[in-house]
Amino acid sequence: MKGNIVNEKTVKLKIKRQDKPNSKIYWQEFKIPYKERLNVIACLQDIQRNPTTQLGESVNPVTWDCNCLEETCGSCTMLINGKVRQACTALIDSLEQPVILEPMSKFPVVRDLQVDRSRMFENLKKVKAWVEIDGTHDIGEGPIMSDKVRSQRYALSECMSCGCCLEACPQFSLTNNFLGAATFSQVRLFNLHPSGSMLKEERLDAVMGEGGITDCGNAQVCVEVCPKSIPLTESIADIGRQTTLQTLKNIFMK
Amino acid sequence: MAKRKKKIIVIGGGLTGLSLAMKICERNAEVVIVSYQSLKRSHSVCAQGGINAAIDARNEGDSPENHFYDTIKGGDFLAHQPLVRDMCYQAPAIIHLLDRIGVAFNRTGEGHLEFRRFGGTLYSRTAFAGATTGQQLVYALDEQVRRFQHDGSVETLEWHEYLGAVLDSQGICRGAVLQDLRTNTVFTLAGDAVVLATGGPGQVYVKSTNSTVNTGAAATMAYLQGAKYGNGEFIQIHPTAIPGPDKLRLMSESARGEGGRLWVPRKAGDARPPKSIPDRERNYFLEEKFPLFGNLVPRDVASREIHDIVYNQHLGIAGEPMVYLDLTHKSREFLEDRLGGIIDIYKKFTGDDPKDVPMKILPAVHYSMGGLWTDYESDGNGMIEHGSPRNQATSIPGLYAGGEADYQYHGANRLGANSLLSCIYTGLMMCRGIFTYIDNQDKSVDDISSTIFGDAKNHWESRLKEIKAMKGKENPYQLHIELGDIMMSNVLIVRENKKLEKTITAIDDIKTRFKDLNCVDTSDWANPTPSFINQLYCMIELSRVIAKGAIMRDEFRGAHYKPEFDLKQPSKFDPNEYIDYLEKKNDGEVPENAFPKGHLDYMKRFEANNKNWLKSTIAEYKNDKPEISYEPVDTSIVTPRPRKYD
Amino acid sequence: MDKKTTDQIHYLILKTHSLTGVIPVGAFLVLHFSINSLRTVGVWPYQISIDIINNLPFLIWIEAGFIIAPLMFHSLVGFYIYFSGRSNPFRYNYPHNWMYTLQRLSGAVVFAFLIYHLATTVVPKLWYGNTQFEAAPYLIYVMNQEFKSWDGRIIYAIGIVAATFHFSSGLWGFCISWGILIGRRAQTNAGYIFALFGLVLTVMGLSTVVEFSLHPVGVEATEPG
Repeated sequence: MKGNIVNEKTVKLKIKRQDKPNSKIYWQEFKIPYKERLNVIACLQDIQRNPTTQLGESVNPVTWDCNCLEETCGSCTMLINGKVRQACTALIDSLEQPVILEPMSKFPVVRDLQVDRSRMFENLKKVKAWVEIDGTHDIGEGPIMSDKVRSQRYALSECMSCGCCLEACPQFSLTNNFLGAATFSQVRLFNLHPSGSMLKEERLDAVMGEGGITDCGNAQVCVEVCPKSIPLTESIADIGRQTTLQTLKNIFMK
Repeated sequence: MAKRKKKIIVIGGGLTGLSLAMKICERNAEVVIVSYQSLKRSHSVCAQGGINAAIDARNEGDSPENHFYDTIKGGDFLAHQPLVRDMCYQAPAIIHLLDRIGVAFNRTGEGHLEFRRFGGTLYSRTAFAGATTGQQLVYALDEQVRRFQHDGSVETLEWHEYLGAVLDSQGICRGAVLQDLRTNTVFTLAGDAVVLATGGPGQVYVKSTNSTVNTGAAATMAYLQGAKYGNGEFIQIHPTAIPGPDKLRLMSESARGEGGRLWVPRKAGDARPPKSIPDRERNYFLEEKFPLFGNLVPRDVASREIHDIVYNQHLGIAGEPMVYLDLTHKSREFLEDRLGGIIDIYKKFTGDDPKDVPMKILPAVHYSMGGLWTDYESDGNGMIEHGSPRNQATSIPGLYAGGEADYQYHGANRLGANSLLSCIYTGLMMCRGIFTYIDNQDKSVDDISSTIFGDAKNHWESRLKEIKAMKGKENPYQLHIELGDIMMSNVLIVRENKKLEKTITAIDDIKTRFKDLNCVDTSDWANPTPSFINQLYCMIELSRVIAKGAIMRDEFRGAHYKPEFDLKQPSKFDPNEYIDYLEKKNDGEVPENAFPKGHLDYMKRFEANNKNWLKSTIAEYKNDKPEISYEPVDTSIVTPRPRKYD
Repeated sequence: MDKKTTDQIHYLILKTHSLTGVIPVGAFLVLHFSINSLRTVGVWPYQISIDIINNLPFLIWIEAGFIIAPLMFHSLVGFYIYFSGRSNPFRYNYPHNWMYTLQRLSGAVVFAFLIYHLATTVVPKLWYGNTQFEAAPYLIYVMNQEFKSWDGRIIYAIGIVAATFHFSSGLWGFCISWGILIGRRAQTNAGYIFALFGLVLTVMGLSTVVEFSLHPVGVEATEPG
């Protein structure tokens, strides 16, 4: 029998598991058949179809979040070989094996590789990341805007709240209330919009406090790990400028 | 009706759900949005190319009327015309609203909205935000909903799954049964109306351009509870996607809208690198066959041509079932700006840069024109009566549907960049009608006995318990793959009755095997498996609807191509001849020599076929089977005629 | 206190931390190194400048108010910052992430060094009343002793390098957090300039150490009065 299995290429995965929030953590290893263009999601799907560990033990399939599988929805963020990224674009051919999968560490774990990122969406509320409009009825065209500003906004607007920037940020932790790069970048996005900028001062107020822009440590890891290459450090610096000017205005012009 | 605020339950947080929720809040009612995931992550984010509106910013002479005609023609005249017309007339206002709420639409030198071309039209009518328009629209609407969330008028139940409608003794929908996907508890939610904005069913095919949540389960659940399902067999196959083991990733039609060209080497099996193949040895098959529309023929046409090139002419790249989508003649800056989003996707998944090498693409399941049957009320002038409670109402009173989950806007084939429009249009439009519906109710949901809700909850609790107790041999995820394989091989671009018959048997076989499932995860926290098994059940039922609709419809219309019933349009045929023909016929006689040879016969065939088949397929769940009937299509505005794109 | 007030205080404290690092603490560092580097030119220029400083009216108030107080504030808040983050440069191995880590470490090193430096210079100077014209000979004496051994040389070298790194990298961070440098290219280019600046400052600082080590000042000049 030994001779038969030599040529079968496999993928080895080592996965950190947790049944419930606060329950104990354990690791399991899986071995699945290799295919071309395999990504981490396809491996996890394979485990669903055959939930057996490398040791032959039948286990519950691993749970994880995913949806679009083309890096647009932001769901499938996890730690892959120690680094945070989207699982859909993590191609097996470019990963060292065993591929080690862990849930993000800066958000509460729900189960296995699933985490609860609601904090990110709460932060968007805090900074009023929206344009105030009079109503959805037809009141004509939107504001005129140069394509240059548009392209600046577009780059920021591609943020899919995946949480990579926060996971990698040394200042962001499970327990503190740091808003993080994604949120600062949204403040910039809406302050750049002609009618969105009407809430500029309120947004800046929201980032001038505990957990706000001054808590950024300038490690710039956020921009390195952002899957959408959003210029997060520029956003942070720009919000730095806006808050500085706001402070001067508060002190000397009011 | 009690003095309290109206309460509407919206299932789904995509474009339709969000735009409806926004509208409801604005009208000072309460809304609960139920979403399978966090709101920003719905499948609408995958839409890439843009959204149509005939603003005629380039002074090409475009108009909503043209938009309407293109859409109807694109859908092979199977869509109800007043609805489509109303949508096309509303489109400019919708774009302006989206612009006002901050969507980063590309702009002209003067700072106005920029438009690009898309399939099935000769006008530049598609507003776009790079190549991630859907994502940008979802975010902007999500932000508006968040704004209302901040004010407290929206409740969001994220990580919740819709299991079914709560129906009272008269069959009126009084609320929804939901499952919390974290605690796995089942509960009911009472509401004055329930709206299914739950998207399409691409997962029935497993491999499609759809997201993993697109199982179509919610709509199927409504069908199983008695709602009518319309035009199920019309599944759009997008011509350009990249293959992958987990998904076929969409390469937007905007790639062709911005000048991308489809080609294959003229010589079969030519294995040379694409850039080294000279122009004269390339077969730009769409441009050659359709000189007028070129690469921008509608999707059904393009997919059929690719299928023909690859499977009948055996000209696929190096013998594989793929063709080139070539953008390399465009400047890098232009591509980065206009198509950056999809170029990135292609690069990340294949390693090749489409700016340097032509992309290798294949057609993939993309969109369901069909969906829950919904009603509408025309105002008699070719538009929609906006306050009518009939608009977007399913056949279950109190249950509404919109977006990809309904069936009525795209006929037999959807035009590119019309889906974002129909999603947002239905979301915005149906609000007033739902309010009228609630106002017209004699009995409010508050007067409904709690046992109705208790029973619904118990039903679903025991159903999930049953599922959890399944200890058979079949793995549910594996069975899903097999269902997908069956659908993929027989209910795709080319459909043959013999194969479809086999498909129906094969699906029945899957249905039998379903009983022998093993619920591979029985834990009681955040357990997705029982949920998935229930969805799989729905997908099996829906695949029966699709397959049965397909086998019964003996014609070739839009995305539903049965070669056997191809009417074989003469090559020099002009669709206006058909109008001529109808007029002449109306006057009493049609001289045999009034048209070029063969044309009259063709037109007679066409007329007869329309008489038989220009109707909506309606599936109803009866005796554990889909029962098919047909309904007339409203063609009161433009006369159906043969489609032609060359 | 309500949240708004605590938020405002938090913001102002951190902003002030950032500002005090540049002015006056950073500015003093430059001044201090510049004056000390006069030692490489000769003993007398060095001594005269110490004389000038030590004969300034209200010197003790100037030192307390413009140097010690801001320095203490900068250090205390610095430690708060130090403990508010958790470095991860091994996991996320990027240059700026290393800078982040080193910025925090160097801050701690400088703090420790300053305790030593002050405890061996200013404190005994005041304790023994070696002020005004007495100051220079006393301080030169202390330095001579310090740089006799490799222990002292190494301690000072580490202190100087940590301080110049902390200051020049901090200056770069200051320019970003205050919004002076926004664009990525601006940040990179300025980064090189600040690196050069830091290098010059390091050379300046170390030159004094080298000079003292190679050429201790003659006994007659250093004999305390």
